[in-house]
Amino acid sequence: MSGRGGRRTISFSVEAVGINRGESLPPSIQQPTPVYPVMEQKPLPLSGGEEAEYLLALKQEFRGAMRSLPHYIHPAVQRGDVERYSDKYHSSEPADTDWSPDWKLFPKELRAKRPSRGVSAAGTHCTLQTEGQKKKKKKKEEEVLLTLEKKEQQSSEEEEEEEEGEEEEKKKKKKQDEEEAEAEEEYDEEEFEEETDYIMSYFDNGEEFGGDSDENMDEAVY
Amino acid sequence: MTAQEVRLCGLLLQEHFGEVVEKVGTHLLKSGAQNLRTILHETGISLDLVKKSLCVLVQHGACVFSSGRKGPGSPTEYRTSCDRILRILRYPRYIYTAKTLYGDTGELIIEELLQRGHMTMSSTVKTVADRLTQNMEDGRSMDYNEVSNSFSNLVETHFLQRCPPPPRAGPKESATPAPPAIPGTPAAPVSNAPPTAESFPDCYKVPHVTLTGRGKRQLSSEDVDDQRNAKKAKMDSETHGDEGICWQVNFERFHLHFRDQAIISAVANKLDQTSSEIVRTMLRMSEVTTSPSATCTKPLSANEIFRSLPTNYNILRPILDQYLTLLVDDPMEFVGKAGESGGGMYVVNMHRALANLARATLESVVQERFGSRSARIFRLLLRKRHLEQKQVEDFAMIPAKEAKDMLYSLLSQNLVQLQEVPKTPDYAPSRTFYLYTVNQLPTSRMLLQNCYKTVANLIERRLYESKESKRLLEKSQRIEAILASLQASGAEPEQLTEVEEMITAPEKQQLDALRLHINKLDSAENQVDETIFLIESYITSTATTS
Repeated sequence: MSGRGGRRTISFSVEAVGINRGESLPPSIQQPTPVYPVMEQKPLPLSGGEEAEYLLALKQEFRGAMRSLPHYIHPAVQRGDVERYSDKYHSSEPADTDWSPDWKLFPKELRAKRPSRGVSAAGTHCTLQTEGQKKKKKKKEEEVLLTLEKKEQQSSEEEEEEEEGEEEEKKKKKKQDEEEAEAEEEYDEEEFEEETDYIMSYFDNGEEFGGDSDENMDEAVY
Repeated sequence: MTAQEVRLCGLLLQEHFGEVVEKVGTHLLKSGAQNLRTILHETGISLDLVKKSLCVLVQHGACVFSSGRKGPGSPTEYRTSCDRILRILRYPRYIYTAKTLYGDTGELIIEELLQRGHMTMSSTVKTVADRLTQNMEDGRSMDYNEVSNSFSNLVETHFLQRCPPPPRAGPKESATPAPPAIPGTPAAPVSNAPPTAESFPDCYKVPHVTLTGRGKRQLSSEDVDDQRNAKKAKMDSETHGDEGICWQVNFERFHLHFRDQAIISAVANKLDQTSSEIVRTMLRMSEVTTSPSATCTKPLSANEIFRSLPTNYNILRPILDQYLTLLVDDPMEFVGKAGESGGGMYVVNMHRALANLARATLESVVQERFGSRSARIFRLLLRKRHLEQKQVEDFAMIPAKEAKDMLYSLLSQNLVQLQEVPKTPDYAPSRTFYLYTVNQLPTSRMLLQNCYKTVANLIERRLYESKESKRLLEKSQRIEAILASLQASGAEPEQLTEVEEMITAPEKQQLDALRLHINKLDSAENQVDETIFLIESYITSTATTS
């Protein structure tokens, strides 16, 4: 911008910018401008009046009302490390369950599941549910059967422990049941993502389980 | 989706829906369209909370969902837009307008619909009737028919509209018919834009609903519980024949109303009451014939205007003509002349009026921030477009040194721009003209972002003040609750004074000061929102014409 070389020349004519000879330039700025600079003019006062007050009252009432509606979602409270007896009395379910919107206007995947935890989770879930694969299928649209079957074949190839034939049959039957009766289905939380299918493998090992341990205590059982 | 808008939307979501919805909402705003898995993965919130948040956002129209980009089989994608969330700032104004137009019933209908997002007509009518019955004297109750009539009136004047049916996830051919109102959409299997409520022919048709009965009064003694019970939508087991038809508030119609009001009050301020009545009549006559984005209303002849003036005004015909001529000649260009037939054809220039109102806002901002002489320079540059430094000094009649200072401070705030006009192709500074200029549209955009930042700052300061005095506020709430219960159970005055004295005098002072601050911050937000509305309308009007 300024002239190159040793000479101090400025390339624009001084009069054009308006700096007359003998006038000092304003001091150069050496640090960022202050966060709250002093204002030369004070701002105007707020417009009062009946309408403004009514609007103010409406606004505050609206805010208060929204807090008590079921739409206001409180964050999940951290319970600390140990379950305490008083948690039962402190926790409250305000109006959360009162809101049941018209599910036709919502995508299927947002449908809330029926709370069925704590009721023999092992018994009811294991035969019907198949963890992550089930969830993956749930999330995709149900109309296209072919893509679903392809996907389930792919995902069943990934699983090494499963017996594929029985898995697929179960899934197909499950799918048919779904389509025939559009009942609400209960499916797992994310915690059940790991393998919980202990029907097949667990009870098959009949030798180690049960009566043999009562005999011959000489041999150590590993 | 600028950073300021996202910040303001986050604060509004947090205040009205909680922190969980705020996290999900801001994530969607920043990242565009996402499907459920990605949201889960990137926000780290648990699955059912995310689902609930998305339900809340969809319920209030802040979020739209559509089948994914890869075709019908891919997971649904959710998209949020800033505009809908920023409307929350304007809710009090909508409710107040409904009150002025349709009385308490209309006010409560709009308030219920705004609180819940969308509702069916029958549930709205029941809830509103119950609420009205609460406030009436004992023994009287509100009839459902009255409320239904108000509801139908609101629908007829298009303040309420039906919610659009959800987009089908399947191929578009088998789904809802492609709306013919949107021109130019290609007949692709998946349309990118979700259909708006306007594009369905039935959106303003009131369903035939059999609703007989009166509002119910709660029998519990606690006032607080009353309010809460009255607000919960009662899930009666009877159906009324309008299941699945949900209604939502039509914001665009309210905006048209606000725009008309702004024009009328501007005319009243600039000229006089009679001229504003004439303009109000003209706008009322062209309410149904003018489309929302039209540049100006349909031409109205002076004879028609004369016939439609309100009867208590008693203006003679030649006086009306003089007023119309005055309006046409006014530099604000609210009214224009479009022909000579019928005693003169007149139009109201919407877009030009909005541009002038935005310009007046800009000028007043400069005046309040920099002083009246800087405002003079600013107005000069707006009128004369491009001026050199020397010309600015001459035209504004301000000494050179001061003019230079003012110009530079305006330039550093980006309200004034510098335009280089070279004399030679090598842009040598000594041989280039440097002209100062003001561009109204970019400056308005910048001012709009400043407004968003202002409102966000106001909300944050209010939250900070409440948090600082949280202990004091809780204590005062508890004492009020104790007082209320004591009074309800009939306590003696000594007990009441004893409880009241639990708050010491300095604490009371602190509470009063806190309340004053919070009220000031709240009404400042309302005022800034009025400016936001003006500038937004101006920017949208230029977008449609260009």
